[in-house]
Amino acid sequence: MRTLIDNLRQVFPEQFNNYSIHNVNELHVGVDSLYLPDFSLHLHRELEGTLVSLFANDERPLNGNFALYYVWAIRKRGLFVILNLKLEADNPAFPSLTRQIHAAHLYEREIKDLFGLIPLGHPDPRGLIFHGNWPKGLYPLRKYFTPKNKPGSLSATDDFQTIAGEGVYEIPVGPVHAGIIEPGHFRFSVAGEPIINLEARLYYVHKGLEKQAEGMSIDHCLYLAERISGDESFANSLAYCQAVEKIAGILLPPRAAYARIIFAELERLNSHLGDLAGICIDVAYGFAAFQFRMLRGWCFLLTEELCHSRFLRNINKPGGIRRDCLTGKEKRLPEALEKIRKELTDTVGIIKTNTLFIDRVESTGVLTHAAAKDMNVVGPPGRAAGVDFDLRKNFPYSNYDTLSFDVPRHNNGDVNCRMNVKIEECFASIEIIRQAAEMLPAGEISVPLPETIKPYTAALGYCESPRGENLHWVMTGEDNTVYRYKIRTPSFCNWPALALATSGNIVPDFPLINKSFNLSYAGNDL
Amino acid sequence: MFSMLKKIIKYRSQTLKYPKEPLDTTFVWGRPEISSSACTLCRKCIEGCPTQAITVNAQNEAGINLDECIFCYTCAEICPAAAITVSKHFELAAVDRSDLRHTALSVEDEALRIIAKKIDEKAKKRLGRSLQIREVDAGSCNGCDYEINGLNNPFNDLERFGIHFVASPRHADMLLVTGPVTRNMETALLRTYEAAPDPKLVVAVGACACSGGIFKDGYACKGGVDQTLPVDAYIPGCPPRPQAILYGILKALERT
Repeated sequence: MRTLIDNLRQVFPEQFNNYSIHNVNELHVGVDSLYLPDFSLHLHRELEGTLVSLFANDERPLNGNFALYYVWAIRKRGLFVILNLKLEADNPAFPSLTRQIHAAHLYEREIKDLFGLIPLGHPDPRGLIFHGNWPKGLYPLRKYFTPKNKPGSLSATDDFQTIAGEGVYEIPVGPVHAGIIEPGHFRFSVAGEPIINLEARLYYVHKGLEKQAEGMSIDHCLYLAERISGDESFANSLAYCQAVEKIAGILLPPRAAYARIIFAELERLNSHLGDLAGICIDVAYGFAAFQFRMLRGWCFLLTEELCHSRFLRNINKPGGIRRDCLTGKEKRLPEALEKIRKELTDTVGIIKTNTLFIDRVESTGVLTHAAAKDMNVVGPPGRAAGVDFDLRKNFPYSNYDTLSFDVPRHNNGDVNCRMNVKIEECFASIEIIRQAAEMLPAGEISVPLPETIKPYTAALGYCESPRGENLHWVMTGEDNTVYRYKIRTPSFCNWPALALATSGNIVPDFPLINKSFNLSYAGNDL
Repeated sequence: MFSMLKKIIKYRSQTLKYPKEPLDTTFVWGRPEISSSACTLCRKCIEGCPTQAITVNAQNEAGINLDECIFCYTCAEICPAAAITVSKHFELAAVDRSDLRHTALSVEDEALRIIAKKIDEKAKKRLGRSLQIREVDAGSCNGCDYEINGLNNPFNDLERFGIHFVASPRHADMLLVTGPVTRNMETALLRTYEAAPDPKLVVAVGACACSGGIFKDGYACKGGVDQTLPVDAYIPGCPPRPQAILYGILKALERT
């Protein structure tokens, strides 16, 4: 932290004077909109920073301004730099960073739709969230807007990019898809067989979750966090709980910390097994798909046996875990995992020697390393394209730093690499659970939250969800409520990468590429 | 090839016998229940419930509206009189939403509901032999969708009942709808319904689809499928387990 502050002081001797350190690893810097691009580019280019979140907050009731928060992660040093920009209420515009920093693209459009703050110089003026059916001049995340207000729908607009040229045609797909999956609209521009361009229109499952959280009690907001994305229930509740624990200044009892590791890794194992089954079914490899589905079924049985919930809900709470689910399972847990590990080893052996299968997944849906870095692609798709980063290693939370495990990395960025990352992570998760179960100490499973939690205090909660870096920012309000809850799931970062990985491939390979990313629509749309 | 055959012989059939034989419910947590004799009406659970699913009726008895319950079991945890217990009942689907409720819907909500028109018995019998289902996610968190997917896994194998999931609503006899119906999905849901040929059934899966669940107050949520389409069966749960969904589908067909 010291060297970082010295560096910033040296480069910006006059502008860098308003800073403070919060929650051990967050450096908050107040910046002026005039110097925002300089600061950002310096963090991006010189300090190897990555823009991991960007959001607005209506702080007019507190200080008369809108606030923008640019969250930069200096991953090699395990630090966050949060640039805080104040915008005057009567001139709500800010300089767009998208042309220099591609990762800012969707955040800025999101802020424009939800807060009515204008990113000056943004290359894409279209709306993102409401498909044109929302009344003009009404911004749901401003404080005057009450969540129970449900304005009527206008007719949706059809403002897709058009690709013109001889023989180019469009294939519209969705929002209701052929399989049992979530809704989203894909527009393919195709010439002959290969896809020239894919545009994904999402936000069909936009529910207004962040607005709903505002004013909710901190206890109740946990249930909302668990329901952001069904298959990441535990990861999302974990990130939320961590943020609240940081604000309340709570130190987690060791038993709860290790228990959280066990559940988080079970969720990863469960999710990856489902993805592997999906990849196999999309190349019509029924035998392997059913093997993986059987393994996933075993995993579900194990989670249900441990905590009576197939989706690992109702376990976490701020301050620890709700019930001691692991007492009496000391023998059962390693046994069940060994059975899964053995069967997984056999199945992986079979699919990897099937040349017909490998032929389909190899060199399909390539995401280049440069694109992955520019777009801040996180999790398995990032690690399959050589982005060597995992929150469990770089920003250790719970007690991950006491365990020894490997984070797999591959370099080609194709479906095969993403599949291999997931396979290797399954084995790593089993190993982590084994270690955590051995180290699981006796003792308390939770500590109570203080009677009153300090209002208008904020913290970042983060965890490596099965899909990658998961970042939640919570700001408390009066009477133990939530003032602002910004959720940034890994799916939000990875959706643009899916479109990039698809171009040049043939349309029938799209489901396969899509499955190898397996992004959450609910986690993106909120 | 040989190793594949070995696996196929080793794991011949994984399919559960449910519903012919009852499910092993050793670890299952189902509906929370309030014992009216033990309840002291202290109202702690009413304050603690994140979806306001617990209400007190005219007879002064507390109860749970299952269509709104998200099965977080907070009530059972915080009840000072230990009057709330977790039962093993997971077969909760009902044809009429009021069967799921402890207190009646308010008049305002009732007016918005589209009451299902009764399909004649003959049609139901005809659908009962072989049924084609189209699943529509109208804003769920994807938990319910994963559980519906689970119906196709080796343990539940839905096809043994002659029930299939189909790719297009034009082939469907039943729509299985999840989620609280978001504003961006409303048109798509209506069009899917219109595209399905008559006679057709609509089944709402999960707390969100039954009542809006935890999202009922969201600015972009309609709050329950029955505010947009006539619903023939409601399957509460958050999410309901695959067997509970299976029970609900069979209930809608009157095959239970």
